[in-house]
Amino acid sequence: MEPTYQKESHSTLTLSINGDTHLFALGEGCHEVSPAHTLAFTLRERLGLTGTKISCDHGACGCCTVMMDGKAVLSCMLLTIECEGKVISTIEGLGDPVTGSLDPIQQSFIDHTAFQCGFCTPGIIMSTKALLAENPSPTRGEVQDALSGNFCRCNSHYHVMDAVMAVVRKDG
Amino acid sequence: MKAFTHVNARSVDEAIQLLVQSKGRAKLNAGGTDLLGVLKDRILPDYPETIINIKTIPGLSSIEVDEEGINIGALTPLVDIISSSLVKKNISLLREAALTVASPQIRNMATIGGNLSQDIRCWYYRYPDEIGGRIKCFRKGGKTCPAVSGENRYHAIMEAKKCFAVCPSDTAVALTALGATLNIAGSNGTRTLLVEDFFTPMGNVLTSDEMITVIHIPKPLHTARQTFLKFTLRKPIDFAIVSAAALITLEEGVCNDSCIVLGAVAPLPVRAFKAEEFLRGKELSEENAAEAAGLALAGAKPLSKNAYKVEIAKTLVKRSVMG
Amino acid sequence: MKDYRFIGKSTPRKDALDIVTGKTKFINDLSVPNMLYAKVLRSPHPHALIKSIDTSKAMNLPGVKAVLTYKDIPDWMGGLPQHVRVLDSKVRYVGDAVALVAAETEEIGEEAIRLIMVEYELLPAVYDVEEAMRPEAPQLYEQFPGNVLPQGIRVFGSNPLQELVIGDIDQGIAEADFIIEGTYAYENIPNPLPPESPGAIVVWEGTDTLTVWSASQGPHMLKVSLQNFMGGSTNVKSIGSPVGGSYGSKYMSWQYVFPAAALAKATGRPVKLCYGKAEHLAAFSVRIGSRINGKVGMKMDGTVTFLEGDWLVNTGAFSEMAQGMIAVGCGEAQLMLKCANWNLRPQVVCTNRTASGQVRGFGGQELKCALIPILTLGMEKANLDPVDFFKRNYVKPGEGYYWRDGKWWVSKGVDFTKAIEEGAETFGWQKKWKGWLKPTSVEGTKRRGVGVGVHGNADVGEDVSEAFVRLDPDGKATIYSGLAEHGTGQRSSICKMVAEILQLPLDRVSVTASDSSINPFEFGPVGSRGTYAIGSAVIAAAQDAKKQLFELMAPKLNVTPEDLETEEGMVYVKGKPEVRLPWIKGMRYHGTCLGRGSFKPDFTLPNFMMIFTEVEVDTETGKVELISVVGTTDVGQIIDPLSLTNQLNGCLGSAGIDSAIFEETVIDTRLGRIMNPNMIDYKWRTFTELPKMEHAILETPFPSHQFHAIGVGEIAPSPGPSAILMAVTNAIGVRIYDYPLTPDKILSALGKIDIVKKGGRG
Repeated sequence: MEPTYQKESHSTLTLSINGDTHLFALGEGCHEVSPAHTLAFTLRERLGLTGTKISCDHGACGCCTVMMDGKAVLSCMLLTIECEGKVISTIEGLGDPVTGSLDPIQQSFIDHTAFQCGFCTPGIIMSTKALLAENPSPTRGEVQDALSGNFCRCNSHYHVMDAVMAVVRKDG
Repeated sequence: MKAFTHVNARSVDEAIQLLVQSKGRAKLNAGGTDLLGVLKDRILPDYPETIINIKTIPGLSSIEVDEEGINIGALTPLVDIISSSLVKKNISLLREAALTVASPQIRNMATIGGNLSQDIRCWYYRYPDEIGGRIKCFRKGGKTCPAVSGENRYHAIMEAKKCFAVCPSDTAVALTALGATLNIAGSNGTRTLLVEDFFTPMGNVLTSDEMITVIHIPKPLHTARQTFLKFTLRKPIDFAIVSAAALITLEEGVCNDSCIVLGAVAPLPVRAFKAEEFLRGKELSEENAAEAAGLALAGAKPLSKNAYKVEIAKTLVKRSVMG
Repeated sequence: MKDYRFIGKSTPRKDALDIVTGKTKFINDLSVPNMLYAKVLRSPHPHALIKSIDTSKAMNLPGVKAVLTYKDIPDWMGGLPQHVRVLDSKVRYVGDAVALVAAETEEIGEEAIRLIMVEYELLPAVYDVEEAMRPEAPQLYEQFPGNVLPQGIRVFGSNPLQELVIGDIDQGIAEADFIIEGTYAYENIPNPLPPESPGAIVVWEGTDTLTVWSASQGPHMLKVSLQNFMGGSTNVKSIGSPVGGSYGSKYMSWQYVFPAAALAKATGRPVKLCYGKAEHLAAFSVRIGSRINGKVGMKMDGTVTFLEGDWLVNTGAFSEMAQGMIAVGCGEAQLMLKCANWNLRPQVVCTNRTASGQVRGFGGQELKCALIPILTLGMEKANLDPVDFFKRNYVKPGEGYYWRDGKWWVSKGVDFTKAIEEGAETFGWQKKWKGWLKPTSVEGTKRRGVGVGVHGNADVGEDVSEAFVRLDPDGKATIYSGLAEHGTGQRSSICKMVAEILQLPLDRVSVTASDSSINPFEFGPVGSRGTYAIGSAVIAAAQDAKKQLFELMAPKLNVTPEDLETEEGMVYVKGKPEVRLPWIKGMRYHGTCLGRGSFKPDFTLPNFMMIFTEVEVDTETGKVELISVVGTTDVGQIIDPLSLTNQLNGCLGSAGIDSAIFEETVIDTRLGRIMNPNMIDYKWRTFTELPKMEHAILETPFPSHQFHAIGVGEIAPSPGPSAILMAVTNAIGVRIYDYPLTPDKILSALGKIDIVKKGGRG
């Protein structure tokens, strides 16, 4: 029996990603956004923004970390349809694509080779970005806590800590 | 994920109405950090047809104080509870518990209502359907609990019946110690109950048309020493293997009153009444704390692989009492 | 130490910009037009025959383009020896593939697999390696009686090392001052758990040509092995995408390429198969299980007079590489232990759980984790400092060993004594070591202990690599190499080698895409062979190209080629740097110089890693905290300092040190199911709990190549787990015989609870 409550009040969805606005049709069609699609899926499969990675897909590894309204969140555990009206930043939004200039965090990661396979790196950089936006002078322990939800298996942790603390010292 | 319809609820009444109309085939979505995992793995025999977003209900995310105590809206994200000076000053136990939850990203997304009503973490219950089919158990219309004689290192050591999964919520432990109550709204009106009464071995007491709206922590807001300890293999991410919350009122080294709660040892947070009774009027010493710990675990009935939890629980009681 | 322009200096990795901006395209970031998505129906039973399978409902679901069962898949087989069908009429572990679906979307595929109706005839299952060998045990394969897999690995030669039978055991017994016996097991089946789950995209052209994009660690070898396994006239073009971690497990890759290729063949469209994380954890490569019942004769001075034992290797539902890992493990045992009389008998046994595969440490880690603790029984009896024991026993230049090919090789490498001493000094071993089963310190309920482990591998010079270096007239160099980037930074390191030889700025040296149709043979970056083997081929190619360039330039400058040097794309006369011409003057705008280089296997240069660990055990909770780690090695010449320290820091990850502390694949042996195929219940090291980590890195020139360097990344984690076991044992004063050292085991060892130990006994 068809439920009698309200249907979808709209058939489109507008997302703000890295300062750009994107209009999507809602639905189950092959280029549409389904209510069951996670933000991670939409970023990667509908917008081609594959910088956000999916590893565990269950909110336990942080590889899919993006910023939403200034806070680090797990895009694999967010429904795209619930992200309307939010300001979303992904790894692609750091730095300036026109001039090629990088965010200081990105530059520091390059300088310290703060990665090995690089799969977890965008998630770690986004968590770092969220931390430094709120707390520009964290202690080493606060950085570790801010990254506590980010998985790295090659074990680049030590170089990551060097890279982040170098940014903190530069700004501080 | 398999498809579903999605609706934004604009009020508690609307959310409840939607739940009633869906006849049990809808689920509420708050932070999503538990629900989406449940859906992705298809661990439950019934998949919801509709997801009702309750983050769009105004007024449910707030931390306020009145003459009766502190009221926290069920949709308040854990990160807001942690950064609240009101919470830190008066009920720091809750803040300490919230700080141990998962990871910063999860704490930015997860709500306190969601943390309380999250589903159990038993790995039989949570077994993903895609790797050979979900596992049936008492909670899913089955006739057994596979954990009881299986891999039960994380399961309950007391007060379990039929289902041996533990209550995974850290905030539930702190809130129990703080004497908190929950306001629950449903199609039959509202009701209030103590946090520890929210949980049963077979699941929480919410009917299919109910939701938590407010968490109330009554005065007197404690001047007692508040300690929350959580034992895990790793500091972040992990659910508690054992946790303990202790409120100790001391006067010149003597314990006048205490409230001791154990977490992750049972399907609900467990008040250690015998331990509290023993400590009343006694000097706070290692020996007394150890004896209290023994009393707290006197009723423990460990399973084949979780006897170690009894030891750890005793240690946490002792250490949280000593502060 | 020579002062190079690039070698030994920190330089940004060439792929750094792409990595930090999110531009790197890993396999699941790629798609091709008209692509379908593959889904696998997985077995609910650990051991069963498929009695019937009905795919009609699945086939009729809109968007489903193919459903394959064992009845209609190609006859390709993988495994060692080849025994693994793409799909079989029998399932051998929970998670084993039962049917394959190709659909327009992943969601449709997920619905389709649920519509496939299968009837099973259940068979009893077996999980323990010794139980699997009993005559009454359920048989996984008709052709492998007793569930024991045949020995031998053709690729290693006609007489590969499959056991260590050397000298005369009776002689060793006679010479011993005492004999100890013990059983230790490393059977917690850790998962290497790279962040990127395995994946591939495949497409056929006609019936014979297959293009594979994959996250393989050895994409060129993948082409070779696929053509071998698929047989007949199959041409494979293999393109490697950047690998999001592998640690050995994604080297073979046929496990996920075959299903995709079968579906691509059936549909005539490209097919992408990317595992989810639960599949990755429950139905892909884990470490082998390793159990040793050993007997060792020793003298009081630490000389080992004989070593006798059974090495029981549990490879799960099939062998991907177990026999190879035995061969190398046996070789590595001799590197660590000078002993004249051996009778070590490995057996590879299959059981009903997800198959084991090659993982960083390649058998040697799994062997050492069981063997070293047995040796410590003797060290304890003779009251020997383990550092002294390892120092005295580790192979020195001029000493020999049988390597994986069954041949006798003599080390031409360096003496690692100095590295050991420096590592011990850095760690403070003298002060911290209090003797066997004695804590370093006790403070209330917290007890600290220290331990040490050792490992080494002569595979740094294994197998063949080829490379071309092409010089272009505009002063650029391109390296043709099938080398995949899987985290070591090796693709950048070979650019540094070429830049050094040609004195070109690093941004003028690049590497071709890892495409088997473009590049010469490349065995792949495994076993730390990147620096020596791949490096040698690249260096030779660059030198060859340079030689050709000088032959072209010499007449233009009126000198002989021997009088020339080059820098910044200009060739100049030695001693007269002002006499110079740009490359284009010799090559012309329409010319190139193509140098060729290759490397032939050389097993004479064993590398070395020693890990010291300090742990703190809370005796009231059983928690083991890792306080500090010191690794020590000698690499000859550092190529890239940060890439090296990154690799050494990797000792915690990729199922290394932490496999002793909390990593474990938990199997319910009544159901045959892995209970923790997710990243909350499978434990990994977090940012919050980083131990103090230091490395002593010596640079004693190796006779390897122009830069005298040797690799070390593969062995970095391997000494770790046994070092942790030693440290915990010393901290609590009680021996524990298996891994991991979780609170329940510690509390039980301390007598605080009663639990059943499995796998080991003393």
